[in-house]
Amino acid sequence: MAVFGPATGAVPVRKPSTEVWWSLKPVVKPTLPEGAEPNPVDRFINAELRIRGIRAVGAADKATLLRRAHLDLTGLPPSPAEQEAFLADTSADAYEKLVDRLLDDRQHAVRYARRWLDVLRYADADERMVAAPGIHLWRDWVINALHEDMPYDQFVQLQLTGRRANERTQMSATGYRSRREPRPGDEFALGLLARGAGENPQDLAINAVDTVSTAFMGMTVGCAKCHDHVYDPVSQREYYAMKALFDPLVLRKITLAGPAELMESNKAMAEAEKRRAPLEKAVNDFAAPYRAKLREERLLMLPPEIQAVMRKPENRRTVGEQKIADDYFPVLRIDEDKLTGAMPEEVRRTYEELRSRLNGVEVPRGQALPVFYTVETDPLREKEKSHVLISGDPSRPDLQNEVQPGWPFATAPALPPDFRDGRIEAFTDWLTALENPLFARVAVNRLWQWHFGGGLVRNPSDFGELGGRPSHPALLDWLAAEFVECGYSMRHMHWLMVTSEAYRRGSAAGVEFQESQQLDPADTLLWHFRLQRLEAEPVWDSLHAAAGILDLQTGGRSFDIREGDGEKNRRRELSDKAGSGNLKRRGAYIVRGYSSSRDVTPDFLRTFDVDDGREPCPVRTQTVTAPQALFLMNSPDVDRACAQLAERLEREPEGGLPAAVDLAWRLVFSRLPSAAEKAGALQYLENDAARLKELCWLMFNSDEFIYVR
Amino acid sequence: MSGDPLLSKLYPCGRIARRRFIHQLGGGFLGLALGGIWAEAGEAPQPAGLPDRPPKAKSVIFLFMCGGVSHIDTFDPKDNKWAGKLIDAVGFGDNLAEMRRPVIPCLRTFKHYGKSGIPVSDWFPHVGGVIDDIAVVRSMWCHEGNHFPAVIETTTGQRGRQFDHPALGSWVSHALGSANQNLPSFVNIGRPSSPVQLTGGYLGASVAATPFQAGQTPVPNLYPPRDGTRTGRDRQMEMLETMNCEFRETYAVNSDIQARAKAYELAARMQLSAPEAVDFSSEPDHVKSLYGIDEKETQEFGKQLLLARRLAERGVRFIQICHAGGGNGGWDAHGDISTHAPHCRATDKPIAGLIRDLKQRGMLDETLVVWTSEFGRTPWSQNTTGRDHNPKGYTSWMAGGGIKGGVIHGGTDEVGYKAVDSPHYCSDLHATIIHQLGMNLASMEVHTLGRTMRLVEDGTRIREIIA
Repeated sequence: MAVFGPATGAVPVRKPSTEVWWSLKPVVKPTLPEGAEPNPVDRFINAELRIRGIRAVGAADKATLLRRAHLDLTGLPPSPAEQEAFLADTSADAYEKLVDRLLDDRQHAVRYARRWLDVLRYADADERMVAAPGIHLWRDWVINALHEDMPYDQFVQLQLTGRRANERTQMSATGYRSRREPRPGDEFALGLLARGAGENPQDLAINAVDTVSTAFMGMTVGCAKCHDHVYDPVSQREYYAMKALFDPLVLRKITLAGPAELMESNKAMAEAEKRRAPLEKAVNDFAAPYRAKLREERLLMLPPEIQAVMRKPENRRTVGEQKIADDYFPVLRIDEDKLTGAMPEEVRRTYEELRSRLNGVEVPRGQALPVFYTVETDPLREKEKSHVLISGDPSRPDLQNEVQPGWPFATAPALPPDFRDGRIEAFTDWLTALENPLFARVAVNRLWQWHFGGGLVRNPSDFGELGGRPSHPALLDWLAAEFVECGYSMRHMHWLMVTSEAYRRGSAAGVEFQESQQLDPADTLLWHFRLQRLEAEPVWDSLHAAAGILDLQTGGRSFDIREGDGEKNRRRELSDKAGSGNLKRRGAYIVRGYSSSRDVTPDFLRTFDVDDGREPCPVRTQTVTAPQALFLMNSPDVDRACAQLAERLEREPEGGLPAAVDLAWRLVFSRLPSAAEKAGALQYLENDAARLKELCWLMFNSDEFIYVR
Repeated sequence: MSGDPLLSKLYPCGRIARRRFIHQLGGGFLGLALGGIWAEAGEAPQPAGLPDRPPKAKSVIFLFMCGGVSHIDTFDPKDNKWAGKLIDAVGFGDNLAEMRRPVIPCLRTFKHYGKSGIPVSDWFPHVGGVIDDIAVVRSMWCHEGNHFPAVIETTTGQRGRQFDHPALGSWVSHALGSANQNLPSFVNIGRPSSPVQLTGGYLGASVAATPFQAGQTPVPNLYPPRDGTRTGRDRQMEMLETMNCEFRETYAVNSDIQARAKAYELAARMQLSAPEAVDFSSEPDHVKSLYGIDEKETQEFGKQLLLARRLAERGVRFIQICHAGGGNGGWDAHGDISTHAPHCRATDKPIAGLIRDLKQRGMLDETLVVWTSEFGRTPWSQNTTGRDHNPKGYTSWMAGGGIKGGVIHGGTDEVGYKAVDSPHYCSDLHATIIHQLGMNLASMEVHTLGRTMRLVEDGTRIREIIA
């Protein structure tokens, strides 16, 4: 940026900081505050509330809790059967059993993979994204990893190196470490890095630094690309040191096909080429006289000496003459439209027919086989030097300003980097080491944010000076230490958070909580549960689940919700069918991405605040806008869901309209209606089943549908 | 409204029934100080609301010709003394190597129009007729020589897409909000070259362009599905209030819930006001023919410009019209410069009609009309009679909104390649627009993603054309 950046290579010296920023201090597990609460999380939360004299709201009722946990953990509303089973379970640990069941459900992995992929900037396509075909295999890998509760350090390690380590990383360990052979499918984890490949070879490394530092270290280092980071402890030199770690990476294409499929594909291409050859000759022969005539006309327009040059066969021209010929080449280039323009009407028709016959024989390209792009270290690039880039411009390395690969900041004990296993391997060891205070802190804060609608640190990807300080520093450190101790089990951390008293609180604060409201209006101290607007994907899933047309299959390519417009064919490269038959696939699989030349991300997603994957998205803003209202009021998707739900209400329950109203409430609000609500609904229906569709519309448009309370 | 005993009895939570609210439309009874129709209570930055000084222009009609108009064949005539000679050329687009190329003759004839005598080519005779209201800037330039990067640069003022920079219209919408609570503040008409031309970027979805079209459905999802009836929907809206009542009372302190009620009210208002804005039945025939709506060639663009005037009249701040968008853009005349001819015919009369119509209504003084492209075209040939991309020099013009009429400012070199006399970077055009709207460049600044983002990094208004 012109405003800050040193235009040339001079790297300004940074003022030495006198104090270590809180997030870079080592994690020390705090002792639990006194208290009777069984869940350690509550000890910290309640201690703080007691100190401030804030009264907390009691537990939410079972039906509310069931809907909340379902939509949070799986992104799906509870089915009527699940509601009945949970309400009927009067055992003391009914809720804990529910949480266990939900965390083991594969749909939980789909939901949380989507959240992680926001942070890791998943996109099905971008401007020049080479790795676009097959990128969904990385998503599938993330879903699988979460479903099998892969330890978090391994989850990160695999996405950076494609390999699993035998033992947990110890920075103090010296010498070569034994590594396990990659398992089949592990290469898909590298989609994270391959995703960053673009037009310029430098893009891969630049995007790797941006994504890895925000996602796993909570540091926004992007600004250090052009100038020293204004607030945070990352200098321009440290930024490029980190980038140098990834500089040797190159993209590699893997064809995901067996030998038989490859042979088959080759044979088909050869055959097509053979069939095309005579047709191609016919077209060229037919056009030859017109081509020659046009060329002659244009030659005559040129000065005589140039004409002479152009008429010479290429191998007889001198170097100087060839330069002239190259300059005039565009003048003599004959485009297809000029060629056909020179033909009389009838001749042109014959010519076009010949051409269409030729075009009728399609060459089945190798791309028809499924491919995946992965990354690997190029030994040649590893030997090249790395430089600071002038103004962060990938095409302008500052050759006077060489940088060595290294870490963005120092941790204790400060050992020099050991690159014998490879740069990224060494970096990954450093990143995931117990001594790195950011690694676990950033991760547990993300999980917390996803459950509670806000992190203990409000900016989950900025643990620097602009990100602010944590609301509960001791709790954050306790969670981080616990995360390390339990072997980085995300499932364990989810469980701890979701079974806490703090999570189970009611969201509504009546007049009796006026004082709490005044003391902590923003609910920073979590004296009640925060009302949360459903995100785009759960809106989509809830609509179609209620209508009974949600396809729960997992895996595979993305799909596009827009149907039947001109761009469909182009989109098909990236997306699959929306679902089988009448069914719609889960919202997590809706296509997203960005391009200057076409819309990739559907309006529906954008309207509901989904990012296109250009940047890592740590927090989705929750806007409330008129286009959202228009979508729920008038879109064909909602209309179809209303029709299907109405049909289901008429078909399924025995007991006429009163039973239909009960079922509607169960399907859309995950509870039974109160007597007054039921009476109101029945009065609205006026004993006319045809009105059910209107009732469905009302429910989908009501606040209760779009909010989790 | 809570003072009405009958009303509070019918609607205990104090909200007004929609049917009643429809009847009172236009009375301004809501009295809400909303930033824009898409106003929200989320975390996105709130509009500053008021201009910094009395504005010269209340609305901007931004005409963007997609693909790159040849300035040499339209508003920046050169004599043909270089024609046929080889000059050092730099390739753009697909030819990056340096080379020598022959300058091609300009086949247009130029006529001096109006009192100012500004020369305009025979491709724009109608625009020539209103040239005394126009300031022609012949010395625009930008960096990027390919369509998408140049569209991004000339639309957002920033190169590259490392950040999701918002379009010019979004900045205006963000800073000024809407003058009409029933319509969005930034509207796009016509197919753009790139979705970037519509984006609200880091300013949020609430300020992004709302695509309007002159036709049956001006806005997506605006109308209920076909089988619904108006009375049915009214009944539903009333029932919806009742159903939301308890929830809204329970969560009354939550600003989101209030915003949601507003969003529904605004959506409903849009349903009523948007169709009225696109309904031309009240426009007399002579006005329609001023825009060329009665002629086949000019019909489409004429309708779009008439719609633009109607939106400006109704307080929409920024109306962007993209002509010949999609792909590289229709003005991209590599093969033969004469492919400009039909585009000129399609736009000439409607543009002149717009300016005349604004003037006769007394609206031109407060409506800024801007005509531009992502870059110009080269003096030398590509494929004999075509011209290549030229970001080093091109022409933009402005009319109304406190801009001097009948002036030429700046100039390119003698072949029409580089802007040499008072060169203006594309951001200067943005700075001029912002200035005429009564705002300082400081209001085009937000702090987000850990840094300060600006519409104009380095640029200033074009003082010479400001009245």
